[in-house]
Amino acid sequence: MKTKMVTQTDSSHKQVINMHVQSQAVLEVLNLNVKYEDFHAVKNVSFSVQEGEIFGLLGPNGAGKTSCLSAVEGLLVPESGEIYVAGYDVKKQGLLARANMGVQLQATSFQPELNVMEILKLYSGIYGVDLTKEKMDSILNNINLRESRSKKFGQLSGGQQQRVSLVIALIHEPKLVLLDEPTTGLDPQARRQLWERMEALRNMGHGILLTTHSMEEAEAVCDRVSIIDHGQIINTDTPGGLIDKHRNNPEVIRASRKGKITLEDVFIGLTGSQVRV
Amino acid sequence: MQAIPPTSTVLSSLLRADLTTQWRNRKSFMLILLVPVVILLSWKPAIDKLGGTFVLGTCLTLGLIAIGLMGYSNSVARDRDKGVFQRLRVAPLPTWSIMVSRLAIQLMLIFLMATAVFIAGSYFDKITLSASGYIMGYLASIMGGAVYLGLGQMIVGLIKNAETVHSTSRLVYFVFIMVGMLGELGVLGKEIAEAVLWSPYGTVKHIIASSIHTGSWDVSASKALVATIGYAVVFSGLGIKWFKWSGSEK
Repeated sequence: MKTKMVTQTDSSHKQVINMHVQSQAVLEVLNLNVKYEDFHAVKNVSFSVQEGEIFGLLGPNGAGKTSCLSAVEGLLVPESGEIYVAGYDVKKQGLLARANMGVQLQATSFQPELNVMEILKLYSGIYGVDLTKEKMDSILNNINLRESRSKKFGQLSGGQQQRVSLVIALIHEPKLVLLDEPTTGLDPQARRQLWERMEALRNMGHGILLTTHSMEEAEAVCDRVSIIDHGQIINTDTPGGLIDKHRNNPEVIRASRKGKITLEDVFIGLTGSQVRV
Repeated sequence: MQAIPPTSTVLSSLLRADLTTQWRNRKSFMLILLVPVVILLSWKPAIDKLGGTFVLGTCLTLGLIAIGLMGYSNSVARDRDKGVFQRLRVAPLPTWSIMVSRLAIQLMLIFLMATAVFIAGSYFDKITLSASGYIMGYLASIMGGAVYLGLGQMIVGLIKNAETVHSTSRLVYFVFIMVGMLGELGVLGKEIAEAVLWSPYGTVKHIIASSIHTGSWDVSASKALVATIGYAVVFSGLGIKWFKWSGSEK
């Protein structure tokens, strides 16, 4: 297995960690910096997502998660750093990089006048996917929207809209799937269903980058998580590893509520209990 | 590894979707059509005094203003607000293809609007043109349409909020109609009439009226054409420069 060195700054310990990143990474972010005029939103961030891995990017509001994601998606031009999707440079080979990623944006919508079938046809054309009637039926059955296929997007419930959005993100079977707070606003059943879908995608070899505010979700589905705050990655590990590493941290103990240390306690311990806007 | 789909496939998919969206919004287009056609009918008694080409030119200009300011700018602002553009931009398509598809639909609307005005003019007001008059009328409408699509683009470039775009474009539309029509007829005074002549309203109306009346093209029409092209270039240039694909883009 080929490996290469990646430098990652661990701000909580003020030291630099050298880590090996496997060559099957479907996403590599190296020393990413994003600036909005004078505001340095993302500072020297590096991480990678492997094939068959769900990687969680966790952070409070304004921590830099969406800026990182936007840079990966090519929606903003970073100040510096490199981003590779399935080996393609996002800056120089943007179309190829985007052809190999599926995206479910946080605040996304399709034209509300189009129905589910028309949206599927639009995006299958855009991604160059041959969508036969059988394939369309199979997709609609999979997401339980066969009965609602003629419904306009604007008439669908929140959960149904999320399912359409996810199926569009996966229509071209991308190597990398970006999910930006996908379970926000979903009821517990729909959320559990989405977790199962994410796990099924992981088992099929897709790499998933997930941003979420739900620590329960991160603990339940992520293989590794990075906690980001003030534009810097504070720590990267498995959810269990993070808990073990910080269970004796006084801030984490103070944050714990029922004696048992959870990922949320670690998160609050590391990022502070102050509410962000 | 996924490959980049051919641009022709991408464009045809976008066009089909934009056409479907437009078809589902046909009520709003009918309302846009209503203003020039109603003015055409209501001015019937004044045709002998003002001339058929003057009336047709005015109605086509009003239709173009409505398409650019009421139709195009509002649909772009709404889709930007809802994140439709952001979703398209994370797909493997060149960003220009998103706007080319939208503009192709607007071109079709301009053609439909001009056809409706020509038919209504011929049927109700007995204003008929030569074949070259109709062809030149369509071409001048497209040229004039570029000015108002550019102006619509400038408004969505300047203003991020969809509701504010909606109210601003309505206000500008109202000002253009009232000041343009009344000013041109001299109701608002000589100075305003002179200013209107070289405003986007006046120059567009001038080139359309001169185009449909074959043989009436003169130096002032050529000057109006240059001014029209200038307006289209400036409005579109600024509109593209200021435009943000997302309402929250910094």
